[in-house]
Amino acid sequence: MSNIVILGAGVAGHTAAAYLQKGLNKNNHKITVISPTPTYQWIPSNIWVGVGRMTPEQIKFDLRPLYKKWGIEFIQAKAQSFYPEGDDQIKTGFVEVEYTNEEHKGVKRKVAYDYLINATGPKLNFEATEGLLPGNGNIASVCTFGHASHAWELFQEKLDKMKNGEKQIFVIGTGHPTATCQGAAFEYILNVDFEIKKRGLEKQAEVIWITNEYELGDFGMGGAFIPKGGFISNTKLFAESYFVERNITWIKRAGVKKLDDHKIYYENLDGEYLEQAYDFAMLIPGFAGHGFKGYDKAGNDISEKLFAPSGLMRVDADYTPKPFEQWSIKDWPETYQNPSYPNIFAPGIAFAPPHSISKPMTSKNGTPIFASAPRTGMPSGIMGKVTADNIIHWIKTGNATMIHKASMGRMGAACIVSAGYGMSKGTAATMTVSPVVPDWEKFPDWGRDIKTTMGEPGLAGHWLKWLMHYMFLYKAKGLPFWWMIPE
Amino acid sequence: MENRLIITKYSEQFYPPTPNNFTLFLRRSIFFQLIRFFILNYKIMKIVIKGHS
Ligand SMILES: Cc1cc2nc3c(=O)[nH]c(=O)nc-3n(C[C@H](O)[C@H](O)[C@H](O)COP(=O)(O)OP(=O)(O)OC[C@H]3O[C@@H](n4cnc5c(N)ncnc54)[C@H](O)[C@@H]3O)c2cc1C
Repeated sequence: MSNIVILGAGVAGHTAAAYLQKGLNKNNHKITVISPTPTYQWIPSNIWVGVGRMTPEQIKFDLRPLYKKWGIEFIQAKAQSFYPEGDDQIKTGFVEVEYTNEEHKGVKRKVAYDYLINATGPKLNFEATEGLLPGNGNIASVCTFGHASHAWELFQEKLDKMKNGEKQIFVIGTGHPTATCQGAAFEYILNVDFEIKKRGLEKQAEVIWITNEYELGDFGMGGAFIPKGGFISNTKLFAESYFVERNITWIKRAGVKKLDDHKIYYENLDGEYLEQAYDFAMLIPGFAGHGFKGYDKAGNDISEKLFAPSGLMRVDADYTPKPFEQWSIKDWPETYQNPSYPNIFAPGIAFAPPHSISKPMTSKNGTPIFASAPRTGMPSGIMGKVTADNIIHWIKTGNATMIHKASMGRMGAACIVSAGYGMSKGTAATMTVSPVVPDWEKFPDWGRDIKTTMGEPGLAGHWLKWLMHYMFLYKAKGLPFWWMIPE
Repeated sequence: MENRLIITKYSEQFYPPTPNNFTLFLRRSIFFQLIRFFILNYKIMKIVIKGHS
């Protein structure tokens, strides 16, 4: 009998749980999921919650009945410390968790495992930027359904002000000099702009994009080349064109340092310290690890063995520091297995990337200002599945060789960038890149397979995004034939 | 493209390509977009299948 523990019930963790219960006989093996909340949320649709087009109820559901049906134990708690060698009493590895439910809030417990999947995603590091906490004055976030629902309330206040003739400045983008997830902010600014125009309030609104990207359309993946209109164009022109078409202006190469109720303070790559006034801000925070600790059998701190300085987990990546020019897809992990403790895995945002994908840039004052590496939904789901497949293979055959692999240097990703909700008036850009991390050896001209890389705006994109919302929630709910829907 | 005149000349916003009316028409045309919907699905599936192999 094997005992598998999964930390986190997001895209990577829930996908891994789903495939593990499908692939293993539940009478012989135990699967436990530990997460601070019992809800699964389809995060991409938070954009629509943030503009009032969906309610939080439409994008989330309670995982407990499903896990009961699947024979998975659910513990509502947050992981705090890792003991991969066990201790005097527990011979296998274990994690120390703290309950977050009302009944046992604050109570600690040790949960033993044979295999551990750390799929805890990012810590939304709002504290790293002074004043960025959502709910603070005019600051919103769309990173969780709770945040997005508050963003909609704040947005409505601003819409009312504009209806009464007041001018409002909307600033949306990245809220930390090395933030990632530009794609989500990009979707939100386009949706906010769409809703303003739908109400005929554009004369009252100034909409501004602020970003740490070197050029627009970088999206933390170093931008992408796309065939368009007889040219090989790029995502820079694509993003700029999208903004110009909508009269959205932009500030790029900006590292946001601080916000007060009406001003954003930032430094740019030229080393200038500048300010931008705002009435509504939605800025993506920096991502970090959760501050987990690791201890060996004797109780010595081995956090460095398990976690990178960012707090994210070390996996089978090549972490040797090297200059941008020497980066290769071989640096990127394939199995998400911890090198010191092979029965620990970290799929999704929880793993520490070897480096960014975009070129690191530093301001004249020495501040790093560039986009960190994104890990979007599709790669996170695939990593979760590959982790489950490898553990199933290991358990069934006793062979610890990782036969399933999924490197971001080989897999592609599809992303639908919503730019307005509506079955006849909506729009979204359908983007695909392959691979996610450019492979300049295999594709020396464009870094990626130009035949499968694309960016196409239009109404069909909205239909796709809408369809995906229902399709991925169907899959996550484990409804009949869920496994036929790919990640 | 609502109001290009408000964009300051020689600013960054002055230069990017902007869609003409025909491109905008195609982006909004239900008939054309229905065809694109199937083509886009096919293109995405190609990427998805590759990612899962
Ligand atoms: C607004 C927004 C829009 C996005 N839109 C898209 C999109 O359109 N397309 C796309 O591909 N991607 C999109 N993304 C990215 C996508 O959401 C992420 O790639 C994906 O959620 C990452 O999955 P994950 O499982 O690694 O992390 P998460 O989904 O964040 O899951 C982490 C899980 O760990 C749990 N957890 C946290 N701390 C602990 C702890 N201490 N112990 C135990 N459990 C813990 C959390 O509660 C959660 O259940 C978007 C992201 C945002 C914020």
